[in-house]
Amino acid sequence: MSDSATNDRSPKTDDLRPMTEVQMAQERAFIKSLEEECQTYWDMVEVGDELSRVLDLTPELVILYADAVEDFNPWFEGWKMNTWRIEGTSPFGGAIVPPLLVSHFVLSVQFDHTKPFAIGSIHTYHNTELIEPIPVGTQVRITTKAIDKYEKRGRRYVRHEVLVTDENNGTLYIREVRDILSL
Amino acid sequence: MAIDNSFIDLESLRITTDTPVGFELTGVKKKALIQLMGSRLWGRFNPNHWDPVYAAETGLDAPIQTGEMSTAYIAEMCVNHIGAAFFRNARMECKYIASILANEVIVTGGVVSNKTPKGNGMRFTLDVWADNVDGERKTVGTVEVDIDV
Repeated sequence: MSDSATNDRSPKTDDLRPMTEVQMAQERAFIKSLEEECQTYWDMVEVGDELSRVLDLTPELVILYADAVEDFNPWFEGWKMNTWRIEGTSPFGGAIVPPLLVSHFVLSVQFDHTKPFAIGSIHTYHNTELIEPIPVGTQVRITTKAIDKYEKRGRRYVRHEVLVTDENNGTLYIREVRDILSL
Repeated sequence: MAIDNSFIDLESLRITTDTPVGFELTGVKKKALIQLMGSRLWGRFNPNHWDPVYAAETGLDAPIQTGEMSTAYIAEMCVNHIGAAFFRNARMECKYIASILANEVIVTGGVVSNKTPKGNGMRFTLDVWADNVDGERKTVGTVEVDIDV
């Protein structure tokens, strides 16, 4: 019997998409696997903390990002079915990275990925300077620095500044300030 | 059966130095599909973004989109209207003021709020947003771009 066929009105695993019992069991098992001891982001971060990682902006990564937000602008296509990797075309020559793609990956840097994920954290704000277009295929370094922890209307926020640079030639592509609301 | 051949000349969308303050951008419309919200590159790391049971346990009415998805929607609208100029010496600021719940239909919008001479062109400021179809505002922001500078 489907989870959604039961009488009580509490949310069910298959409320929002059709699933068999096997799929539902797989989802519950996956969620259980995510359970781990963790602390709040507020407690995890100290002002001055700096973290840095390198990200390869492969054509496949760009496609995965753009497909999920249904953005099919051809400027972002460095990968095409049947042909696979291509040079692509944009006003800057070859394919370029969607303007806010790297901003999406900052979360994976400012949250120390070697520690358990900080529960109850919500991204609430970003102020992003787009300085230069990023060619698909670029290797970028994302560096985050905690610059403030503050409380506003009873809520706790952690502010970071972010730099995105070309790992090979140092070009500054993006500068950003962003806030995370913490439990 | 009639075939719909209507289309917009996409080049006509582009903001130029002659575009007046008050010009309204044509947005994009998207549905917050649970399958996309929970894809590996987006929300899979946090079941609040795709699992109704987990979301309810943490006090949410339904799984919520990551804020960056509405940022991406607004950015798509900006690329449509601004083109290459959106990728150099531009700025985009967004505040996520309300959660986008699974299955909500989101429409982006924007308006030119200011323009000031800069170099040979103009520095434009736009107010931008993402609403659900009932008009509830989810994300607000501003965009600044150089046009023909």
